[in-house]
Amino acid sequence: MSRDARSMVRFDNIEKRFGENRVLNRISLDIPRGQFCVILGPSGAGKSTLLRMVNGLVTPTTGSVYIEGWRVERDNLKHIRTGIGMIHQHFNLVQRASVATNVLAGALPRVALWRALLMWFPVPYRRKACQLARAVGLNAAQLSRRVSALSGGQQQRVGIARAFMLDPSVILADEPVASLDPKISRDILGLLRDESRRRAATVLCTLHQIDLAREFADRIVAVRGGEIVFDGEPKAFDDAALRSIYGQSELLAAAPSGIAEPGPSQVAEVLI
Amino acid sequence: MKMLTDGVPDHGAGPTANRSGDFRIEPPYSWRGLLVVLMVLLVLCVTGARVEVDRLAMLTGEAFAVALGLRDSSQVSRGAVKVVQELFPPQISERREVARIENFNRSDLPWFSHIETLRETEQHLNPRTLAMEKSTISREFLVEPLGYLRHVTLKMIETLEIALWGTLLAVALSLPLAYCSARNYSPHRAVYLVARCLVSFCRAIPELVSALFLVVLYGFGPMAGIAALGLHAAGFLGKFYGEDIENADGGPQEALRAIGAGKLKVLCFGVLPQVFPQYIAYTFYVLDRNVRMATVIGLVGAGGIGQELKGRYDMYNYAHVATILLAIFITVFLLDQIAARMRSRFL
Repeated sequence: MSRDARSMVRFDNIEKRFGENRVLNRISLDIPRGQFCVILGPSGAGKSTLLRMVNGLVTPTTGSVYIEGWRVERDNLKHIRTGIGMIHQHFNLVQRASVATNVLAGALPRVALWRALLMWFPVPYRRKACQLARAVGLNAAQLSRRVSALSGGQQQRVGIARAFMLDPSVILADEPVASLDPKISRDILGLLRDESRRRAATVLCTLHQIDLAREFADRIVAVRGGEIVFDGEPKAFDDAALRSIYGQSELLAAAPSGIAEPGPSQVAEVLI
Repeated sequence: MKMLTDGVPDHGAGPTANRSGDFRIEPPYSWRGLLVVLMVLLVLCVTGARVEVDRLAMLTGEAFAVALGLRDSSQVSRGAVKVVQELFPPQISERREVARIENFNRSDLPWFSHIETLRETEQHLNPRTLAMEKSTISREFLVEPLGYLRHVTLKMIETLEIALWGTLLAVALSLPLAYCSARNYSPHRAVYLVARCLVSFCRAIPELVSALFLVVLYGFGPMAGIAALGLHAAGFLGKFYGEDIENADGGPQEALRAIGAGKLKVLCFGVLPQVFPQYIAYTFYVLDRNVRMATVIGLVGAGGIGQELKGRYDMYNYAHVATILLAIFITVFLLDQIAARMRSRFL
């Protein structure tokens, strides 16, 4: 089915309308296995909508999404979702539950219902949760602590551990560092990149921070107004590409007065 | 005027053109608010006259006047004195005629009890001589000094048991009801509507009324009481459990749905931890309420202390009634204390 055997996620001529409002317009994209692909764009560009189509949280108006050549449909959604981990902007952890419970919840689709209702996870999953908690940099004491007691960065570490519980072949990260400070953002994205490389997972990550995209992406896909305006390696992502995302006039409006033609690094700061 | 608006803040509520343009803070009181208050007062006056609130206030006032020695007597104070005289002292002991006790075993008396023998002279007619004769007969009584207190305590324990099982039944019934009546988890629109109807129906019928009918179904005794308490509380818990499920933060639920977890698993891991403290609070409230209601539903024969109360009241044994009322008061008070402690520990 797939044109390329290495293709992991393929968007085929995607269009999405909410009523009259067209959010995505004829998007076709092919993401090979193991790539760290950043979808870059300003708020409201449609990048989250695009990402959420991969695991069927949003259905395209026309066009299809393929995972390893399998079309994402209502019927196979449950099966496909099990192979896709997701990391969220607001972490989406249960604040009152312990770190261990939150990480273990990542294995829920594979655990028998009666075991889940008794909160009695099989030993291999418990062991795996411990390994992951260590891998993402949490300490043993934090496992039994409530998530609400952790800082934002540590909470996202829990989110990453949860996403890797079922060894997914695809990780979707929806603005994973939008509510974290720049230093911690780098730590978290570095962790995400290293862990996904080690487990050979393909990552689709939406970001609005240009400098982070340049630093961590294997490939940048820039989206503006529902269309792809740039697709290539980070080093090909130059000022012209930057302007195509954010637009010259918006750049000038956002820049402090006195800077007529801002360099890329300054632009990045302004836009963060 | 211009000077004034420029210099000091304008306190007037009038339509003074202010310099801040569209920005405006509404004054706390308005004509419309005043009008509403007047309307409410008018309605209260009309309904108050219909239910004789004015007489209630007058009679109570008179009673207070009597208590302060300003008046000689009033209707309410006379009634109150009579009630108190009837009720006190509360009945503690129990005294039964031995001849009326079935299978009385003289060698095995209950604890702390003794037998009193009364000698009475009785006059009765001799049918042969048609003359009145005097004779002495002796009657034996079994006296238990704390007998009635013990009886009331046992009945109170039965009441607590009814309340406990009523609460357990309510929790068991309301969990599936809550699942079906939460809009975002209900399996189908029809199921949702049926569940909502059931919840409202259960809540609409007071325990005392449903107990009346359940006594016909299950006979006199605790069974009817448990069922009545359970059904009503199931309506209450179903509504509140369900609404909490609907209002729970959607983030964790979406995260679990996104990896393909089923509805029940999402509910168990994404919702339950969030709503758990509230659930505990509701359940404690229901237990507390059920203890109070369990004392009442006995009035219609559904077991517990209420049944005893009703029987004694109908036989004009007001001293016994006083003991029962005291027992109810002490139980509810103790329960309040325990519940407060439990709440501060668990939540």
